[in-house]
Amino acid sequence: MPKDDLDTKVKLAMYEMTAETGRVPNSSEISRRIDIEENEVLTVFGRLHAKRILLPEPGDPRRIRMAPPFSGVPTAFPVEANGKQYYANCVWDAYGIAAALHCDAISRASDGHTGEPLTLEVKAGAPVLKPYVAHFAVPAGHWWDDLIFT
Amino acid sequence: MLLFRSEETVNQWCAAHNIPRRPLVDLEQLWQLAVHWYANRLTVESRRPTSDEMVSIFNSLGLTGPFWDPKSDEWR
Repeated sequence: MPKDDLDTKVKLAMYEMTAETGRVPNSSEISRRIDIEENEVLTVFGRLHAKRILLPEPGDPRRIRMAPPFSGVPTAFPVEANGKQYYANCVWDAYGIAAALHCDAISRASDGHTGEPLTLEVKAGAPVLKPYVAHFAVPAGHWWDDLIFT
Repeated sequence: MLLFRSEETVNQWCAAHNIPRRPLVDLEQLWQLAVHWYANRLTVESRRPTSDEMVSIFNSLGLTGPFWDPKSDEWR
């Protein structure tokens, strides 16, 4: 199979499984889903990382830490959508899950300084606007230098 | 990228962590960024925007200057 086709197949499986379950799959689970060797999946993970489609878990390339907008680990940005719970990587990605799934969603987040509960909601394809703000601490040219910090 | 109730709590967080205050984005801008980045993410043709496309998206939302330029070295 051509490399680009394989990359697309792995990428779609990763996102479809995440959307279905709320959990980002690992290389073994994707291998079984699309019936290819796990080593091939790991090679594709490397290429998708280079294309900034995913971030492998540091120290464990079989796991995916981020498949933006989805997080492979629990975060401060849980998102309820389609009757499932997902985790977003950041406030941008909390909205990103609603955008990617094309559905209503609610994220019970909190103020980054005070911890006060703050809710983000998307209804009928639009955000329920509130006077909250997002702070971008890292300039765009450096987002992928340390994506977990960003 | 964190969420804050107001500019005031952003300033408090920056002071507490000795992090420079950087640009703020309101929820409408944030939603538009999410749509541009992720609306087709679960499709065959999905891809991350190129650097030039990012600048165009940011500019369309009023987010301008070197902070929003993925190719800028000004912040190194």
